[in-house]
Amino acid sequence: MKYTVLSKFELSATSRHEAITELLELFPAGEKTRSLLSSALDVREQVGATVVHNNIALPHCRSILVDKLTVVVGRSEAGIMWPSDLVNTVILFVSPVKVNSPQEHSKFLGHIAGKIKKFGDGIASAGSQEELLKLLDFQLEEQGE
Amino acid sequence: MDKQLEKLISLHDLDVMIADLDRKDIRKRETDMGLHTVGALEELRELRENYCKSISRKWSGLYNQLTKHYGNAVVPALMGRCAGCLTRLPTAVCSNPDRNQKVHTCPTCGRIIYWAD
Repeated sequence: MKYTVLSKFELSATSRHEAITELLELFPAGEKTRSLLSSALDVREQVGATVVHNNIALPHCRSILVDKLTVVVGRSEAGIMWPSDLVNTVILFVSPVKVNSPQEHSKFLGHIAGKIKKFGDGIASAGSQEELLKLLDFQLEEQGE
Repeated sequence: MDKQLEKLISLHDLDVMIADLDRKDIRKRETDMGLHTVGALEELRELRENYCKSISRKWSGLYNQLTKHYGNAVVPALMGRCAGCLTRLPTAVCSNPDRNQKVHTCPTCGRIIYWAD
């Protein structure tokens, strides 16, 4: 599975929609693509907030607008209302729509679920970008296996 | 980008979301993580129904027909080709900077095409 990891450690967003928009600004895509991705992620959030652990949100979807799994990890000191829980760590990812991508999407969800189960409190309280990405087993570059 | 084209892309992503939440493995992963999946699936289906009403009958009809036939109705153009059937698309369309300002279909498979920005 190949994926790209991006990160922003000082989010200024205070609401869920703002946080998604701010993280999508890092995506290697045009404005229209980011806007359509934001709509897709907002729809998913509207039918069920993706808060998966104390202080951690996991907005995610698959979209025809991306050709590679892309993850953006964000952190907010002040916290973000999601919409009724206060979260400080956001792990946003979008998988492509390809033949094997449902399995890849599921596998990646499993990877994140495992890390959150094992290091949830550590992830939510990590003091640096490096520590946070290490706990999630991400590196700030293209990944491949 | 043409409004109908935007809506067709969003409808496709919505259908993918519904299909994913309908998959046992993904639903189990999400449920294990504490995410609300059963109610979400029903709500997404309802949203889809309402969303379809905002798309012109011409395009929603074609979308549903293509989805039934191929499984995917909307595909990107990649290097001047339809990503669905790999047919080379007309150069005049591909080189037009306003190519996303109307809905284009592949001359061979009929899928709806968009160009990534």
